[in-house]
Amino acid sequence: MTASAQSYLNTRVSAMATALLHADAAPELCRLTLPEIAERYGLNALLDEQITPRGRARAAEQALLQRLLTDLAVLVRPMDSDGRGLLLAWARKYALFNLKTLIRGKLHGLDQSEIRENLFDLPERVRLPHQELYRAENVLELLRVLERGPLRIIARQARESYEQRRDPFVLESAVDQRYYAELTRQSLQFRGEEAQPVQQLLGAILDCTNLIWLLRFRFSFGLSPSETFYQLVPSKRLLHRTRLLELVNLESTEQVLEALPEPLDRLLAGTTNLIDAQGRANEHLLAECRRTLARGRSGVSRALAYLVLREQDLRLLSMVVQGRLIGLTQEQIDIAANLSAPPTAPDSPLGMAAAA
Amino acid sequence: MLRPLPMKHVRLLVLADDLPQASLTLAQTESFHPDNRPPEAEALREAPGRDYRERYRQAAARLEKIAKLVRVPEAPDIGQVHVVHPDELAAVGIMLRERWNQASRFEESFRQLDEEERLIRDQEAALENFANLQIDLGLLRTKTRFLDFYVGTLPRENVARLQGAVQLADHLLYKYLERGDTAHVIIVGPRGEREAQLSSVLTSAGFQALPIPKDLADKDPARKRDELATRQAELAGQREALGDELRLWEQEHRGGLLDARRTLLLAEPFVTLDPTIHSAGRLATLAGWVPARAVPELAERLERELLLPFDLTARDPRAEERHLVPTVPVKSKWLAPFAMLVKQYGIPKYGEVDPTPLFAFTFMLMFGSMFGDVGQGAVIAGLAWYFRDKLGRFWRFGLMAGLSSVLFGFLYGSIFGYEEILPALWNSPIHHPILMLQIALGYGVAFIVVACLLAIYNRLVVRNLSGALFGHHGMVNLVFYLALVWGGLNLAGSGGFGILPTLLVIASLAALAVYAWRNLDAPVGEKILVVFIETLETVIGYVSNTLSFLRVAAFSLNHAALSIAVLTLAEMMGAAGHVITVILGNVFVLVLEGGIVMIQVMRLQYYEGFSRYFSGEGHEFSPLRLGDGAPKTSAPARRS
Repeated sequence: MTASAQSYLNTRVSAMATALLHADAAPELCRLTLPEIAERYGLNALLDEQITPRGRARAAEQALLQRLLTDLAVLVRPMDSDGRGLLLAWARKYALFNLKTLIRGKLHGLDQSEIRENLFDLPERVRLPHQELYRAENVLELLRVLERGPLRIIARQARESYEQRRDPFVLESAVDQRYYAELTRQSLQFRGEEAQPVQQLLGAILDCTNLIWLLRFRFSFGLSPSETFYQLVPSKRLLHRTRLLELVNLESTEQVLEALPEPLDRLLAGTTNLIDAQGRANEHLLAECRRTLARGRSGVSRALAYLVLREQDLRLLSMVVQGRLIGLTQEQIDIAANLSAPPTAPDSPLGMAAAA
Repeated sequence: MLRPLPMKHVRLLVLADDLPQASLTLAQTESFHPDNRPPEAEALREAPGRDYRERYRQAAARLEKIAKLVRVPEAPDIGQVHVVHPDELAAVGIMLRERWNQASRFEESFRQLDEEERLIRDQEAALENFANLQIDLGLLRTKTRFLDFYVGTLPRENVARLQGAVQLADHLLYKYLERGDTAHVIIVGPRGEREAQLSSVLTSAGFQALPIPKDLADKDPARKRDELATRQAELAGQREALGDELRLWEQEHRGGLLDARRTLLLAEPFVTLDPTIHSAGRLATLAGWVPARAVPELAERLERELLLPFDLTARDPRAEERHLVPTVPVKSKWLAPFAMLVKQYGIPKYGEVDPTPLFAFTFMLMFGSMFGDVGQGAVIAGLAWYFRDKLGRFWRFGLMAGLSSVLFGFLYGSIFGYEEILPALWNSPIHHPILMLQIALGYGVAFIVVACLLAIYNRLVVRNLSGALFGHHGMVNLVFYLALVWGGLNLAGSGGFGILPTLLVIASLAALAVYAWRNLDAPVGEKILVVFIETLETVIGYVSNTLSFLRVAAFSLNHAALSIAVLTLAEMMGAAGHVITVILGNVFVLVLEGGIVMIQVMRLQYYEGFSRYFSGEGHEFSPLRLGDGAPKTSAPARRS
């Protein structure tokens, strides 16, 4: 990327970052009523009594996602192919959400319109070839269609696994694993000054994901060390290949938490359930993103950090909207937003299983 | 021909039960372009026919998938036109689901054959590798009491992860071959508890076991290769048998599939109109654009074919909706290739002058004058004629360009670059360069004046009076330009610019500056800067645009000069060399200069012409129609 494009991108990111929620703004947001949210964030569909609560929640979610994708479109404009490739690969998670919705819909025999209602409307360069996928009559046919597109390798592997095991978990974990592997591949394309900060940030994202997956697969789902390791994507930062090989071979959650490297061991000390662990790991990632945004010099890594934080804000907002629409109490919303602990924290490892 | 076909906005109110019939009738007239705007009446907010649309889409998707496997004509003769009832559509959908279930089994069988063939290729590669090793790999065929072996392939990018995963199960992975995206590996480890862990990981990794040849220990790879070749031949036989089976299946179901295609073609108009249709209770409305002359026929046809009462109203387009009115494209087959080139720039807005005829005429004029040669023109025309099947509608374009070149060739007296064979009916450009430049300049002035007049007309049509007067290339601009030309002619003739032209230039520039000043919302300093730059740009723009047309003369001179160069080179050769040089030189001129001239003409058309008067922001008239096999004037439709 040229120096002027880098400066432009950094300025853009800084300007956009002023709209992010402060780290301590979550409690206030969680106390907003639906009319207040509708007015403050322009989500008028929330107040439309003609639409069902589910429809309103869906409309709000789609509108919020649209904002994230608009930000993404603005940020990738000045980037070179490497930067653009990384950010679009990151955003492709929403296409993969759609893919999972399609797979689940086909598995449960839902009709096309019902499936369509639950899909995100995505821009051309992020989305999957939906029309063809809708037409598939079952999961295997759907995966066959996918094999003709850019997700060829994921689809083939998923289909082969599915043909042998008929387990949707195999499909979804293959999809997730490939998503992060692709992000890693994209980050390794960078050369020069951008490479290190981008790989550092992606490393933080992968560390967070690996940690949760490790705990979930190994102790909630009871997978073997080999199976667990196979589902993980080693990062270039804390949870690298050798460390993951050691961690998956341990026999209990406590042993894993004790064996975690600095600062993860400190952050997760005393964790008793997966939700708590997930919340703490996520906070660590968000703190890393805020650090990158405030002190980083690489435009691409700052843009990615901004998108992660923005996504978190919008997710929180979406969660409050949904909570209000289905009539959750303030206490329940606070728990969901990780603002307060559940009344009785289940013990490990049962807690882990319950959380999963 | 330059004026657009007048259009009417029609609104059809029908009872919801009559919607499928109304859609079918509108499609049969091929004169109804749907208007997808929501109706003005708030009550008409419902969108009927959702189930119908879903059923149609599902059935159409199934048929498309089947059509990838067996031939199902896309546009069969529809035969008797009838309304497709929702139940009929549902029945077709169910029938197609069954057919697709059967057809997909064939598809799956073909895929399995592909997979097996791939496996054989992998085995051949493995055999090649094993044969070079000096150990008894036959021992790897079966698990031993203590050791567990896996030999097989997996996607290359999964190797590293699998290596770690097998390591955790106390196994080792050795990659011995890579072919494309596939890696061939051997996994070995102790038998025991951890062995069981491996199988699910291997599945997740996409591992495919490769059977190790039984008699590998006999060191007879040639025999093994023969066996694989035999297996390959068997697979080819199976493929052929499967193909035969598929053909039989196709024959058995051809009629049913064809009927399904017909039903879907008949149901399509209702589905296409779906976004246009709005309803309240049993009352439905749909709106669209229809050529004014086709409205009476449409009304008559609806009267004849709708059983229930309806109301059809037609009105002229309102000023504010002119941008929504579609433009009917030029129908002439001779103008069709030029229309395609115009379309690259845009579609004329409704009311705007359609530039296609003018474009065609000036294109021929400029191409011929820049590339005037009887022989080369005849070659272009001949090639266009010869390849008319491959060139599609563009062959007429090539033919006309070639003939234009021939015509100017006669005027210039040039044939394959020789200027002594044919007597020039007018003048040879190379001998009268100044005259050619003067004519080109005059042509440029005329071209720009016509373009400005069209720009003024286009704005007047949409009642944009201020735009017609003061806008870009409007009336004041035209006065300025004509005064500039007048002054220029005076300067060339008597040596002075002339008082009246000077006054006109000053007055028109002042008017433009005042207009720009009044329409600019900016601080004074910025206003001064913008108005000064815009005024300067007007002066420079018109002068440079006019001079741009000198290229028409320049290329006619260039063409003659290139021909002279080729003939001079030919003169230096012997008899055979002369002929070869002339032929190759002409090919060179045809390909290189012909291409450049084509680009230059397009540039003059798009930049000097279209940018002045043609917005290209319209959209094409695209009427609702039945499949191509449908009769255009069928007997009255009957309900099924």
